[in-house]
Amino acid sequence: MTVTKRTSIAPLAVYRIAIGLMLFLSIVRFWAKGWISQLYIVPHYFFPFYGFEFVKPLGIYTYGIFALCAIAALLVAIGLFYRVASVVLFLSFTYIELMDKSTYLNHYYFMSLVLFMLLFLPAHRYFSVDAWRNKKLLADQVPRWNLDMLKLLLVILYFYAGLAKINSDWLGHALPLKIWLPARNDLPLIGWLFNYQATAFVFSWFGCIYDLSIGFLLWNKRTRPFAYLAVIVFHGMTAVLFPIGMFPYVMMVASLIFFSAAFHLRIIGFLNRFFKCPDTFIRPKRPYTYSNGVQKVLLTGFSFFFLVQLLLPFRYWLYPGELFWTEQGFRFSWRVMLIEKAGYAQFTVKEANGKAIVADNSKFLTVLQEKMMSTQPDMILQYAHLLRDHYAKHGFRSPEVYVEDYVVLNGRRGRMFIDLHTDLAKEQESFKAKSWILPLNDEIKGF
Amino acid sequence: MNLASGFRKAGSLFVIILTIYACSKKDGTSKQEEEKPGVDRKALLTYLADDLIIPSYTNFKTSFGQLLAKSDAFTTSPTLSSLTELREAWVNAYISWQKIELIDVGPAQEQNIRSFFNIYPTNVSNIQSGIASGNTDFNLPATYAQQGFPAIDFLLNGLAGTDPEILTFYTNAPDAVKRIAYLKKITEQMNTVFTKVYDPWVTGTYRETFTSRTGTDASSSLAILVNGYVLNYERYIRSGKFGIPSGAMMNGVVAAEKVEALYKKNISLTLAKTAFQASIDFFNGKSVKNGTEGLSFKSYLDAVDAKDSQTGVKLSKTIADQFAATNVKLDLLSENLNEEVKNNNQKMIDVYTEMQKSVRMLKVDMTSAMSIVITYTDNDGD
Repeated sequence: MTVTKRTSIAPLAVYRIAIGLMLFLSIVRFWAKGWISQLYIVPHYFFPFYGFEFVKPLGIYTYGIFALCAIAALLVAIGLFYRVASVVLFLSFTYIELMDKSTYLNHYYFMSLVLFMLLFLPAHRYFSVDAWRNKKLLADQVPRWNLDMLKLLLVILYFYAGLAKINSDWLGHALPLKIWLPARNDLPLIGWLFNYQATAFVFSWFGCIYDLSIGFLLWNKRTRPFAYLAVIVFHGMTAVLFPIGMFPYVMMVASLIFFSAAFHLRIIGFLNRFFKCPDTFIRPKRPYTYSNGVQKVLLTGFSFFFLVQLLLPFRYWLYPGELFWTEQGFRFSWRVMLIEKAGYAQFTVKEANGKAIVADNSKFLTVLQEKMMSTQPDMILQYAHLLRDHYAKHGFRSPEVYVEDYVVLNGRRGRMFIDLHTDLAKEQESFKAKSWILPLNDEIKGF
Repeated sequence: MNLASGFRKAGSLFVIILTIYACSKKDGTSKQEEEKPGVDRKALLTYLADDLIIPSYTNFKTSFGQLLAKSDAFTTSPTLSSLTELREAWVNAYISWQKIELIDVGPAQEQNIRSFFNIYPTNVSNIQSGIASGNTDFNLPATYAQQGFPAIDFLLNGLAGTDPEILTFYTNAPDAVKRIAYLKKITEQMNTVFTKVYDPWVTGTYRETFTSRTGTDASSSLAILVNGYVLNYERYIRSGKFGIPSGAMMNGVVAAEKVEALYKKNISLTLAKTAFQASIDFFNGKSVKNGTEGLSFKSYLDAVDAKDSQTGVKLSKTIADQFAATNVKLDLLSENLNEEVKNNNQKMIDVYTEMQKSVRMLKVDMTSAMSIVITYTDNDGD
């Protein structure tokens, strides 16, 4: 059985260090930019995920969650108290991610998945403080499936991101890049290229082919160096072009997992120049093995985990309408940089007797929240309920809430997004299709 | 070994690509000079600064200077004729103001100039108590509604029914001196704020700053300019001048006393039309210097090929058509919008409704087509 095959633990240890440091830096960056306050303390209201309504910012103590997360990330990186630190890191990071939908990013979700997997992997058994303090932990061989799982997640991420690009807007019309690229034509050296629509087409097609193939090219030893160069160039380019924060760097670092044991041992060797650990610590020649029962449970669990990963992005097939328009089943599916969407939502709160008021969104939401809310039906519903509850307390008897929401998608003329006559105060959130989303009246062919 | 040679190969490939790219760039540049494809935001910002923004400010400075001079004359010696002349200067400056209110970028945004110039309806009881106390701090947000053009409107037109009666408030009334002081204080405050807006553009370095922030991110000149322009159109033209007084915003709660220039009565439509036309002219890049159209939001939209992917109709044309449709409705109104709200409110609501359509186009279609970012946080485009 392949599950008994062993491989060097070095890639796993380097991965642990790199991801830990990356997360630590991300949080420092987030903190330094004032985003903790701006995104989680200043707003009056937050958009929790369905089923996770209990996850909320904790006022000023929200800083505590971030601090906890940062410390746990550092501990994971150096491999100290790893078992506890990895749990704290996974929980605190995921908690942060779940506090407000408006800040949802695919790479946060990716991070949560990686941290979840790391909970079950012996990443602290090599080149870590834990292993230094307790030499019994030390191991330099792990079951190969440990590494393969981390690689598989990346392959899925890339491949699904590529699949999502096989659609008529992306390949046929170079949308939304055709809209986004000219806006960056003042970049030095390459900016002028974006004045040509052909550039948008080249980028779209290249991006699609890159995403579909890069996971496999990284896995294959012969193509790996070129593939990694492509990773650097591609993500370097996206970092220059779009405000996507740490994502490109996370991917550059995470992709290192594909490289050979020898490569990672060289990294460890380099790091060890500073620590000067003895050879017995670097080459303990001791395998790590799970007990049969544990291994069986883990493999079953992870099989289920990956089955979910493979199916979840296709859940949109269960919903009617155009995915990019309704966004039912859009998140958690590796759909990145696919749509240029903007909306303008005006909510009217009414009483049955005719008393009515047009809500001032800026009183309730931040600019970011309003922007995100106006194009995403589940958030529109959450906000409508917020208005209902607010105005019920302020003199409206069983208020009805209606929205006039004008939305543009990938350069089409704007159109009404939500049925004008649906009282959103009475609608309930569920996994069922939302009948009050108006159709796009256009077909985007493909995935 | 294998890895290292792989990297070397990849490295040389990279150098080759760079070389091809570097050579092709030269061709690209020379080609660009011939046909200029795409958008040049630097040129756009420079044109908007030199042909629209700065000349509009300069024009306002002239008419506002007249207002200051006539205000000095009136406060020094209040007579029927100095009152009439001041009122005339006030009308001209108020009209001219409508052409700069839409510029909400740089110093105008920093100084928050609108709050000191045009918050209405003006708060009469605060004006009265301000006159009595004589020590109102005009920098406080709570005092915005007791200064600027609307407060002057009340002081010149709203105190009594006839000019001789109004004049007595500045001559024979026991608090005449205090009232004169209050009027002076308003114009002084306006002058202070306007100077802080005007100088950075004309004698300071703001023009340079404006034309150098050529991006489309949240701190770029274009993003701030467009957002300010749309906000002005939405909140201060559509809502302020039509939506709120007519009750279209409040589902029928009519508030005729909330029109602009309530006390002067017969200029409110002129003010609204001027502001609306200023928005159109700004959209079209109509030079304030020579009246010809140049680089603009319109030319920008055309250059990025903004059109409905289903019908192929240019977005700039759709917007222009909507402006024209609004003008048709505007022409049905008469000068006194206070009276129109009371007697012809449907016509007011019609204007609001037409404007609402263009608000959507400007706020959503246009900003999306320009790819303007309004937030500073990370975004992966979903």
